[in-house]
Amino acid sequence: MSQPNPEELEKLIHHTLRSLPNRRAPRSLEQRVMAAIVAQQSLPWWRQSFAHWPQAAKAAFLLLSGAFAALLVTIVFRAGADVGTASPLTSALSTLAHAKMVLGNISDIGAAVLRSIPPLWLYGGAAFVVVMYTTLIGLGATAYRTLFNHR
Amino acid sequence: MITPIDFATFMRNYQDMVFSTAVRLVGNEAQAEDISQEVFLKAYEHFDNLQSSPTAGGWLKTVTTNLSLNHLTRYRNRWRFFSEFKRQDNSGAEDDAEIEFAAPDNFFGGLDSDERKAWLDSALEQLPEHQRVPLVLFHFEDMPYEEIAKKLRVSLSKVKTDILRARAALAQVLMRSGATHEKFNA
Repeated sequence: MSQPNPEELEKLIHHTLRSLPNRRAPRSLEQRVMAAIVAQQSLPWWRQSFAHWPQAAKAAFLLLSGAFAALLVTIVFRAGADVGTASPLTSALSTLAHAKMVLGNISDIGAAVLRSIPPLWLYGGAAFVVVMYTTLIGLGATAYRTLFNHR
Repeated sequence: MITPIDFATFMRNYQDMVFSTAVRLVGNEAQAEDISQEVFLKAYEHFDNLQSSPTAGGWLKTVTTNLSLNHLTRYRNRWRFFSEFKRQDNSGAEDDAEIEFAAPDNFFGGLDSDERKAWLDSALEQLPEHQRVPLVLFHFEDMPYEEIAKKLRVSLSKVKTDILRARAALAQVLMRSGATHEKFNA
């Protein structure tokens, strides 16, 4: 046996692979594609991609979108003008105080709920979640390696 | 106006090429069929331009290659946790096997076309993905090393090494298959 020259091997493999004819596509491919096309065409126009919408619908959509965007911009600017009359610092502080109050209420409710549950239930629940999670990961990995990963 | 018959004829002309490109890249017939379906659905959307275009074949091949590579990336990311605890970037021990065989003039002196096709397809599928994909891109798609490295987001040296090892592995698989029995023992 001899060590082949890499260039020689490249030419040989290239020649061998390029002499390989195309593989025949499965008979089911054409049927699947045609069925998918028919299914797409049978969808109402508003569920198809934008490119397939009727021209009038496209124009109406663009007009409405433009109008909606203009309305939003107007609202934001007017709100900004209203806020601008008050002190910016006062406005920011009141927003912060409001956010703090909402978060405080939420945490109070959470703490009350947690206190009402016996600690044993909490630990048991956490352990159950961990066990189920690891079991599912293990089952998934085993199933994949057994059924799908042939290499 | 597109008629179903026009598109069906178009599809029949190119479906073997599209399927071959996909199956050689992904190494799995069912996945290649899914990819081929996606390619032809995209082709249908652009059929007004494609039906009279001389570059329709090239367009289909490019789309098939890109969709296959996207599929491999998605699939690899999804299942890496389950199946690839060792890094494939660093070639394993099986890759380090020395290339040692007599170089014949061709691999299939005594085989007819169908046997040759079956052996080669099987040998390609036996290659690990990190060797098969750059090999297919280089030899079937005529893609230069630099472009392969860019597409696969790996270094140029890795692409060259993987292709070199893929050629050696392919040659060894073909030898083991007995296809070259007479040649190698002559």
